[in-house]
Amino acid sequence: MVEVKLHDIGEGMTEAEILHYFVKAGDSVKADDPLVEVQTDKMTAEIPAPANGTIEELKIEEGTTISVGTTVLVMNAEGAIQKQEESKSAEEAAPQAEKIPTSSSAATAVMEKTQGRVLASPYTRKIARDHGVDIENVEGTGPAGRIMDEDVYRFIDGGSTQEVEPAEEKQEAPSRTYTDQQPESIPFKGRRKQIAKKMSHSLHTIAHCTHFEEIDVTDVQEWRKEWKSLDQGVSMTAIFIKAISLTLKDFPMFNAKLDEENEMIHLEKDHHIGIATDTPDGLIVPVIHHVNQKSIKEIHEEMKSLTAKAQNNELTSKDMTGGTFTISNVGPMQGSIGATPIINHPEVGLMAFHKTKRRPEVRGDDEIVIRSMMNVSMSFDHRVVDGASAVTFTNRFAQLIEHPNLITLELV
Amino acid sequence: MVVGEIAEEKDVVIIGGGPGGYNAAINAAQHGFRVTLIEKEQIGGICLNEGCIPSKVYTTSAKKLSEVPGLSSFGIDVGEPNFSLGNLQSYRDQVVTTLRKGVEALCKKNKIEMVEGHASFLSEDRIGVDNGHQFDVFHFNHAIVATGSRPRYGQGLDVDHKRILDSRSIFHLEEVPEHLIVYGSDYIALEVAMSYHQFGSKVSLVLDGGKNDFDFDSSINKELGRLLKKQKIKLYKSCELKSVENQGEETHVSLLKNEEAVLLEGSHAFISLGHQPNTEELGIDRLKMDLSEEGHIKVDKQMRTSISNIYAIGDVTEGAALAVKAIKQSEVVSDTIAGKPSEFDGTFLPTVVHSIPPIASVGLTEEEAKDQYGDIRVAQFGYGGNGYATVHGKREGFIKYIVDDATDLVLGFHGLGEGAVELVSTGTVALEMVARDEDLKFPHYPHPSFNESISLAEFTTKREKVKS
Ligand SMILES: Cc1cc2nc3c(=O)[nH]c(=O)nc-3n(C[C@H](O)[C@H](O)[C@H](O)COP(=O)(O)OP(=O)(O)OC[C@H]3O[C@@H](n4cnc5c(N)ncnc54)[C@H](O)[C@@H]3O)c2cc1C
Repeated sequence: MVEVKLHDIGEGMTEAEILHYFVKAGDSVKADDPLVEVQTDKMTAEIPAPANGTIEELKIEEGTTISVGTTVLVMNAEGAIQKQEESKSAEEAAPQAEKIPTSSSAATAVMEKTQGRVLASPYTRKIARDHGVDIENVEGTGPAGRIMDEDVYRFIDGGSTQEVEPAEEKQEAPSRTYTDQQPESIPFKGRRKQIAKKMSHSLHTIAHCTHFEEIDVTDVQEWRKEWKSLDQGVSMTAIFIKAISLTLKDFPMFNAKLDEENEMIHLEKDHHIGIATDTPDGLIVPVIHHVNQKSIKEIHEEMKSLTAKAQNNELTSKDMTGGTFTISNVGPMQGSIGATPIINHPEVGLMAFHKTKRRPEVRGDDEIVIRSMMNVSMSFDHRVVDGASAVTFTNRFAQLIEHPNLITLELV
Repeated sequence: MVVGEIAEEKDVVIIGGGPGGYNAAINAAQHGFRVTLIEKEQIGGICLNEGCIPSKVYTTSAKKLSEVPGLSSFGIDVGEPNFSLGNLQSYRDQVVTTLRKGVEALCKKNKIEMVEGHASFLSEDRIGVDNGHQFDVFHFNHAIVATGSRPRYGQGLDVDHKRILDSRSIFHLEEVPEHLIVYGSDYIALEVAMSYHQFGSKVSLVLDGGKNDFDFDSSINKELGRLLKKQKIKLYKSCELKSVENQGEETHVSLLKNEEAVLLEGSHAFISLGHQPNTEELGIDRLKMDLSEEGHIKVDKQMRTSISNIYAIGDVTEGAALAVKAIKQSEVVSDTIAGKPSEFDGTFLPTVVHSIPPIASVGLTEEEAKDQYGDIRVAQFGYGGNGYATVHGKREGFIKYIVDDATDLVLGFHGLGEGAVELVSTGTVALEMVARDEDLKFPHYPHPSFNESISLAEFTTKREKVKS
């Protein structure tokens, strides 16, 4: 008899709500099958079965909030591990001639058989191997729990953390050869799983296309310096957000939602700009609403408070929904010069800002000047807009950044 | 002995030229590696020189001999057969030599450097090879340990290879034993027992370790028991072995059954108690290599040991000691070294016995399936109802497969009877393909054939064992 308890599934978690049971009393389960879904203030998570067995009793009703350590359900574990131990001890107990060993063939044959069966055809297993995916981490949706090609592909789409494993594995000493336990496995649940779901859905739905542009940010930087000297500090991102909004005003198709079912494209009137934000738990996208009605200063303040909330896991669902366009500013990380960002479905566009670098630029009369140049990557939904309009979109944005005084022309 | 000062640079060094080692050498060479294969005895290892091949020469001879009396039904009258062990040995040597030459030619064709001598590790990247008058040191990038295994028996057993024999000496006897006492229950024990029985020995078979039956599926155990009785091979179950002693012409095996002493007086005894990995005298005690309690080298699914540039395959690793395994692992290891994703999974390694009639088995037995899955269904078909079996006069036997009652998933496949060794591959493929019962029933099987039994098998439901 095993009591399955609510254990600490995240930093500082003290209680959780029982959302949904995947099992009922009498069901037989395999080790690692999800038993129950729980919701904490930060995430939803699944509690897996610790062993093969049957569910005896569900202790807590759905909808109840319980604290860590509370028994959620009781199961009768009868997993292979337990059995092996039993048979081993039986063997040890059996009387035997002292000097003469028993045959080892039986023992080894059993060992081969109990290591756990992979429910996938050799062909499917090869697909997993070739993609560096451990087939034992893939959930089968096929008949009798069979892992299908599609299951592996779905896993690949969503499980980027698993993909890098083989390289690590190579250097690593094999600790135990045939068990399911993978010491480095990271639970694929909660936010990671959410991100995976969103990303693959977007990639499968949207006809992604990305182009790149270089933008001279020297003048905006000058502006910022000047503002700062006047104690009016605003971030670069706040200016970008405003510029995006002004650009969206001229190109409303980029602030739209495609409604394929009803064969409509809905043009949103307000500009709600999502800001891709990195947190220890993964990517989240808080949204600044009504950017078109806000000043750069207001945008800056709101962004600051949203970022703080995101870092502290205090975002409300309102803070994270309703976006019409998303930006991703990876510039401060001093890394990339280009990317092919995945659009935040159902939006139409996403612009990523990369690092800014001092570079020699050739000006009109063949003069070489040193300017601060920033690369941007613009992803757009090619079902809704075409490459040419995306280029004019980016051109307009670049124009606003390169000649920031143009922004003043747009003041209402 | 001259100790070499300078280590020769090698790319892939393989220790042991058995089916694991030589196949790994060929595969790695085909991946473009420069390969050095070190063997202290003869290329081909146990499998070719003392195991699979010689034993199958013997079992094939026994099978042919067993068919002679039935030939007259087919209109062929050859009279009393005259068996010559000497001729069989010549044939065995001929087969082994032909095959060994084939392996040597393949190695040569793939430009594998063959080195004679006993290899041992000096460090994690150096191997020393001693061939009696010279000691060479090789510095390697990758090493594969394929040193195989040898028969295992306790200190209480004094195998003299004359009257008390193991698998290294049983196929070298110069005359057919008068009364052979076989101690063991694995496929080697059964093959030896049934072969020598056909050659004219009186045979007694004592199950090892006090076992009360073989390790097969219960239906096979039952039928096997009946067949042994019919063939007049006396089976001793649940006996404790006290001693095996040779006294001149006689070899005495003392047993204890139900507290009572049983003395078997034979001319020879044959011991088959499984295998012990060849990990001593390999210098691996100098390395921090993970070994199992029994001394097997621990490897992952890609055949890596706990030392990153050293791999191990075949009998020297954990799991069944079978050439099938060694050969598969030789593929996996060369892929791994070449950076190709590969894996070994021994879950559905078939067990095969070239007995009369043969036995083959893959996946779970009925008992294991009940334990792990609860309600199961068992499909069985006896050769008595198989036309082709009747044509051949081989009506003894059956095939049986087991499915999970809830999902119809095939869990195990077992056969005893003519053709079982080939038939089991249908079961193995079914298991690997995650087949369900209909996947086995639906296909067309030639008529008449032993295969047909699969489509003719009828189900009975077996309820789950009462939970304790
Ligand atoms: C009687 C019998 C019947 C069998 N029948 C079958 C069968 O029908 N089907 C089946 O699949 N399997 C069968 N087997 C098992 C099969 O023979 C083994 O599983 C197989 O040979 C293992 O291959 P290997 O390459 O791991 O090792 P081996 O074949 O044992 O080869 C290891 C080689 O390494 C060499 N070596 C060891 N140490 C050193 C060292 N330090 N330096 C240099 N060289 C070294 C040895 O001389 C040997 O040649 C049978 C075995 C026996 C005994």
